[in-house]
Amino acid sequence: MDDLLAEFIAESREMLEALGGEIVAWEENPGDRARLDSIFRFVHTVKGNCGFFDFPGLLALSHATEDALADVRAGRRRADTALVNAVLAIIDRIADMLTAIEAGGDLHEAGDDALIAALEPVAEDAEIVEKAPSTPAPDSQPQAAVSQRSVRLPVELLDRVMSGVSDMVLARNDLARRLRELPGEALVKEPFGRLSAIIADVRDAMTRTRMQRVESLFTVLPRLVRDLSAELGKQVMVDIDGGDVELDREMIEIIRDPLTHIIRNAIDHGMEAPALRQAAGKREIGLLSISARQSGNQILIDVVDDGRGIDDSRLVAKAISEGIIDAADAARMSLRDRIALIFEPGLSTAAAVTAISGRGVGMDVVRSNVERIGGAIEVDSTLGQGTRVRLRVPLTLTIIPALTVSIGEQQFALPRSSVEEIIEARGGAVEISHLGGAMVAKVRDRRLPCVVLADILHLQGSVAEADRNLVVLRLPGGETFGLAVDHLHDHEELVVKPVAPAIMATGLYAGTTLTDDGNPILLLEVGGLAQAGGLKTDTLERNSRQFKTAEKVQDTQTRQLLLFTGLDGRHRAMPMAVVDRIEEVGINAVEFGPDGMLVVINDRLLPLAGAEGDQMCGETLRMFRLSDGESEIAYGFREVMDIASLDGDFVHANEPGDVAGTVLIHGKPAELVDPHGLFERLGNVRSRDLAPVCRMPAGDAWMQNFLRPMVEANGYRVVDESEEGNVDLAIASESVPEIAVGANRVIRLRSQPDELPEDPYSIYRYDRDGLMRALRSGTGRR
Amino acid sequence: MNQLLLIVNIAGQMVALRADDVQSVIELDSLIAVPRAPAHIAGLSALRSRLLTVIDCQRSLGMESSGNRKAGAVAAVVMHDNHAYALMLDAVQDVTEAWSDPAPVRAELGDGWDRVTIGMVETEKGPLVLVNTAAMIAGQEEARAA
Repeated sequence: MDDLLAEFIAESREMLEALGGEIVAWEENPGDRARLDSIFRFVHTVKGNCGFFDFPGLLALSHATEDALADVRAGRRRADTALVNAVLAIIDRIADMLTAIEAGGDLHEAGDDALIAALEPVAEDAEIVEKAPSTPAPDSQPQAAVSQRSVRLPVELLDRVMSGVSDMVLARNDLARRLRELPGEALVKEPFGRLSAIIADVRDAMTRTRMQRVESLFTVLPRLVRDLSAELGKQVMVDIDGGDVELDREMIEIIRDPLTHIIRNAIDHGMEAPALRQAAGKREIGLLSISARQSGNQILIDVVDDGRGIDDSRLVAKAISEGIIDAADAARMSLRDRIALIFEPGLSTAAAVTAISGRGVGMDVVRSNVERIGGAIEVDSTLGQGTRVRLRVPLTLTIIPALTVSIGEQQFALPRSSVEEIIEARGGAVEISHLGGAMVAKVRDRRLPCVVLADILHLQGSVAEADRNLVVLRLPGGETFGLAVDHLHDHEELVVKPVAPAIMATGLYAGTTLTDDGNPILLLEVGGLAQAGGLKTDTLERNSRQFKTAEKVQDTQTRQLLLFTGLDGRHRAMPMAVVDRIEEVGINAVEFGPDGMLVVINDRLLPLAGAEGDQMCGETLRMFRLSDGESEIAYGFREVMDIASLDGDFVHANEPGDVAGTVLIHGKPAELVDPHGLFERLGNVRSRDLAPVCRMPAGDAWMQNFLRPMVEANGYRVVDESEEGNVDLAIASESVPEIAVGANRVIRLRSQPDELPEDPYSIYRYDRDGLMRALRSGTGRR
Repeated sequence: MNQLLLIVNIAGQMVALRADDVQSVIELDSLIAVPRAPAHIAGLSALRSRLLTVIDCQRSLGMESSGNRKAGAVAAVVMHDNHAYALMLDAVQDVTEAWSDPAPVRAELGDGWDRVTIGMVETEKGPLVLVNTAAMIAGQEEARAA
């Protein structure tokens, strides 16, 4: 808080200084609009900050002044001499108060009421006004501020010093190398050591001067959120976490705009209006959580809302109609790819352009701004449940500790922060095995997927496979994998420089650096290596990202697994997040459909997995009911055994399918069910075929509250009139008959029981049996 | 407007570069290959503590890789989008004045030269192709992809 206060005082002082001339000019010419505006801005800023720091006296003063000036700006009042004098008196007083605050003294607020009173338009009475400008008694002037000594420097200057320090490190490294080759090394060793230590100190100090708490970025956010949500008629609660994370000063400035933009999007497009939220079964007040945390050499800033989520099918449709992708592309895209379409220039699903967002400055600009500083932006969204936007920004711009490795003659650097462990080949601690195309290393009791650097880079390695060393790397998401390299070299502090765009485009390099002897070394990008090596980290991460309303996103590093015995007797593990509940049905509820098994649970027909016909014995079948938020799948099992957590490493299966791979839990192998594969195979196609669609007017409260639960209980997916086109059933009321257009069947509700039903589809709205019959006849139980 | 030109040999041809584009002409101290980078990127080199991305001009023209992709090769240092590049040259001839503004080339240049040519300039050594360094840096694959 002290930092913030100092910042506030410094900022206010700076504005006051700049204002000095303006005040005088305004005094001479009170009609001068530009001067008026800058004075208004000043009191406005002071007022805003006061509210935050709790200086009621200062707040009252600046607030009263702001009101008076606002009247003048709006033309309700003329800036006469009396007002000018009163304002000037208050500005002087604010300057005094700032000094007092800085020195930690008393604010002596006794005379302030008179100052405020002087602002009131007093008809033709100059008496009070004449008195008001006199500044408070001289004894209230505290001693000159000595407690805080700070200077405000342009960032460019810091940059210059920083790059000087970087070059100094390079020069030192070079000198160190030359000294090693000299015979008289011992003579200079000690002074050189001292020089090295000093350089390290200076560099640390320099790095610190560039660091700032993210708090300075976050403090303005509650206000921003409040203003935006008020303007848009939404209710949003903001939850901010991680303000104490430190980030490069310049980086903070660079991400300020992208972050603001993301928050605007979240409130404008993500959050539903309170009524809609209520209808969707959510709390009226939306939750927007903004958090920062450090992960390796990156800072992750998450903006999570529990709004309506991103409608990927609409995005895809729009992208196709805009010619950005074609239908064939769309069919191949994963959910994540489809959501990532929001980054395409000129693609916005905003139905209406509002004053807040949707004005052409899109997510594409946000992304390019973030990528310009070596950051990344990711979006996850679950339709109807919310969206998470994650900014990854590098911690610092310049120097990182690195591990150098080599393939053949060529050296490469790995960021030390991603290196979890180094395993030398000759230790015999690693056991490498090949499972199909995949390579797996057994390190102690862990199994790690591995990639070979030489293969990824299409280089010829110089050592035999058995002699390769292994570097265990950690991805930003927390998963680990092994990287096999020819040789391991030094730990070094390297000055990282950006590489040309064409080289960046390979995705394999994060930058480059110069070694002691001035040769460039490429810095490898760990995520890019994993990707190029074909590791399926994406699906891994994906599964853990099921997030529920108003809940924080779960840490990706530990995932809860449900251990169970399958119907075939094998040990399996199922991610907890996808299990909705456990069901038990009679064996005759299982049906054999044309493309697989189906099971009837409470009038719903779900695809059944994990069961083969001959494995089912006994009278009943127990199953997990799995849900991805949209569709449901049943998965048969014999017995639930335990709940365990998975900490990231497992052996990937070679073939895509229902099993993602094998995990070791409590020393026993278990097949990890891959919900992604399962839902890909069974979820979409089937449940869309299965769940008939019913359209009913969104505005009809009776239908939404009374009828909808019954309709949904009968297995319908309910849409409103915003979804046009063909539906299985439409329920129309007397007031909204047009809802029926394009429906296969129609139910028309009438409010009186005794009316003569001329229309065969007309049903009295409390004729429960009639409604049930009408609903059931359309659910297409085949 | 008599522009200064640097006359160099690229891919066996005598061509001109705008002297304003070229910061210096150097012999590459070192050349570190960048695996899996586009083919026309010969690698990285350093000039004092500055990093250079070395462009194989011959490859950028769509021809075979230069046989001289190694330390010691002559290169022209140019800036493009805040990155320093070194364009590999066969040889450096001279600095001379342009006698004319670049004029459209009427003849078919072939071999990818069209893509990197600004125009034809008259010089004391006769008409020369004036090379667009940015297009040279972009390389053929990228140009095609864009």
